[in-house]
Amino acid sequence: MNKTILIIKREFLTRVRKRTFIISTLLFPLLYLGLIFGMGYIGEKSKSILKIAVIDSSGLLDQGRVERANAADASSQLKLITDSANAVISNFSDRGYDGYLVLPAGATVENGLDKLTLHTSRTLGSAAEVQMKLGSILNEIKYEKLGIDEAKRKALSSQLTIKPQNVNDEKANSGVASTIGLVSGFLIYFILLIYGSQVMMGVMEEKTNRIAEVMVSSVKPFQLMLGKIVGIGLVAFTQFILWIAFIFIIYNATKATGGAEGSTINSMVGGVQEVFTSLNLPLLIGSFGFYFMGGFFFYSSLYAAIGSAVNEDMREAQSLSFPVTMLVIFAIMLMTVAIKDPTSPLAVWASIIPFTSPIVMMARIPFGVPGTVQIWELALSVAMLIIGFAFTTWFAGKIYRTGILMYGKKPSWKEMIKWAFRK
Amino acid sequence: MPILQINSLSKNFATQKAVNNISLSIDKGQIFGLLGPNGAGKTTLIRMITGIFYPDQGEILFDGKPFDPINDIAHIGYMPEERGLYKKMKIGEQALYLAQLKGLSKSDATSKIKEWFTRFDMESWWNKKVEDLSKGMSQKLQFVTTVLHNPKLIILDEPFSGLDPVNANLIRDEIYRLAKEGATIIFSTHRMEQVEEICDHIVLVNKGEKILDGTVNEVKQDFKENLFKVTFTNELLAEHLAIHLFEVKEKKNNSIVIQRNEGFTNNDVIQYFINKGLSIESFNEILPSLNQIFIKLVEGTPTARQFNN
Repeated sequence: MNKTILIIKREFLTRVRKRTFIISTLLFPLLYLGLIFGMGYIGEKSKSILKIAVIDSSGLLDQGRVERANAADASSQLKLITDSANAVISNFSDRGYDGYLVLPAGATVENGLDKLTLHTSRTLGSAAEVQMKLGSILNEIKYEKLGIDEAKRKALSSQLTIKPQNVNDEKANSGVASTIGLVSGFLIYFILLIYGSQVMMGVMEEKTNRIAEVMVSSVKPFQLMLGKIVGIGLVAFTQFILWIAFIFIIYNATKATGGAEGSTINSMVGGVQEVFTSLNLPLLIGSFGFYFMGGFFFYSSLYAAIGSAVNEDMREAQSLSFPVTMLVIFAIMLMTVAIKDPTSPLAVWASIIPFTSPIVMMARIPFGVPGTVQIWELALSVAMLIIGFAFTTWFAGKIYRTGILMYGKKPSWKEMIKWAFRK
Repeated sequence: MPILQINSLSKNFATQKAVNNISLSIDKGQIFGLLGPNGAGKTTLIRMITGIFYPDQGEILFDGKPFDPINDIAHIGYMPEERGLYKKMKIGEQALYLAQLKGLSKSDATSKIKEWFTRFDMESWWNKKVEDLSKGMSQKLQFVTTVLHNPKLIILDEPFSGLDPVNANLIRDEIYRLAKEGATIIFSTHRMEQVEEICDHIVLVNKGEKILDGTVNEVKQDFKENLFKVTFTNELLAEHLAIHLFEVKEKKNNSIVIQRNEGFTNNDVIQYFINKGLSIESFNEILPSLNQIFIKLVEGTPTARQFNN
């Protein structure tokens, strides 16, 4: 056992001391925050007011109505053009317009306006905005024509809001739950893929450096494999804890600096607080820890087996690990389904079967336990994952033992399974 | 008492018998040669002795007791043919790590490493990385990590492959020194000429079976063909050689290679030459090389053809 600890120590320290670990640990949250704020900033900046020239050959519109409509919704500006129409058409952008629209001559409110063309370089969303505004102007003309006054108009329109209520757990806010579920599912997904392939490369390193046989003459192959998996798992865990610490520091720092009332930062801080109080945090963190470690052990031992079977060729490793990677990707696909309907049989079973449970169950838990996730489901899922990773570690150990001393041809999955059941 | 005794050891892989009913015994302090062509089963045999493989049949006694891989490997130092080190690790840390895995405490390991590094002029290497070393340098380091924990049994698989003559000599001298200090050395190779001078005792394996066992001298005596090289100070004439005592295998101006016939002694031959008035400069027996013996043993098989080239 002492030897396994030595191996864990080496695997952990050589990785944590590497410059790439420190850089990626620091950079990832910065990049992530940068991305979020950057996108918000760009979104804010690009929200310039849409200016459209409306060339009215029909004479339906008048300046007053257009002006009133512009005042009611300032995000776009319609400008009524009655003369020098051709000059506007030929170079609308020089005149400060984002586009132009022609109401054909002879058109009436009833006729000839059902299909119009907006000529513009800003196609995304602009047509809908103009359509809404122009429609409201035309509606107004129609109301007047039919003699419907303000009071009648109010009586005609109905106000309706529909809010979903989770039948399984009344406290669960499904918006918050699905966000938390999505985030934790994706985190586990990333950890499985990134650190799983790190385990695979670590094992390959031992083969390419030809140190495998030197090592197994001192320690049992299983100890070597386990030490590697646990060591790399601890690296993942450390990185994770550091990130959580960063988030905590940033969160507290932004809360302390405050910022103006009603600013985005303030409302975000408030939002985060609200989310935290509405969730069962200890359960969430506990189950995240479990599914994180369980999923990692389950998959990384498979990756270790693959690493031991191939030679230094990265392509061999990729083709052999493809089925395993597909399983992880399949799990993330099931997760998106499970978030939409967390109590469907598909979601329930996907969260119990260990191939997909680390990701899918983590996406379901925020919806509430017991409520959306029954106690028996959670217990079965936990038990299955423990059995699952005990099995894959055993299975991988058998393949590893043979594979690590093999050089030459790449074995097929069939041969590897044969190795596993050989005495 | 033998340090290692192997009784009827067998190991099969899916289709072939890698090691078939091999028995051998190695005494303490011996330099033991395990010889055979590639694929003869040497590595499989060694892997069983080092606890990497479990034998299908037979038993291994280490130091008089049944071999217990978990505890006994601390007393074995094994340098496999496929050897290497962690490229990105510092040399000192690397040696320390491997020594600790063999069960040395950190402080013990450190002082031993320092001692060996001084012996091999490697003191300044401690903080270098393995990837910065030349091949010869990393072979030296590999050897140090193999013997660092004072193993009772040192197993070297093709130790000289990839070594220049200077480093090969250095390692050879260390092997002698370690043997003198009481360590037993198993030396596995397919290069027979390398072991003739080093090994006390050899075993030849081919196709998983032991085909020869004995000291180098015994083996050579067993396989000698009574060949002698005789040189003379005066010229040799044809009439000197018409005799039933020997057959001439090779003849030059003043030297011949002869094969002595059954029933005669060296003295008979020398007497004959003296009587003929020839003055003998030297009279030497030509013993077969291990390579020749091996070829003779496996004559007619594909292995022999491979070795004749």
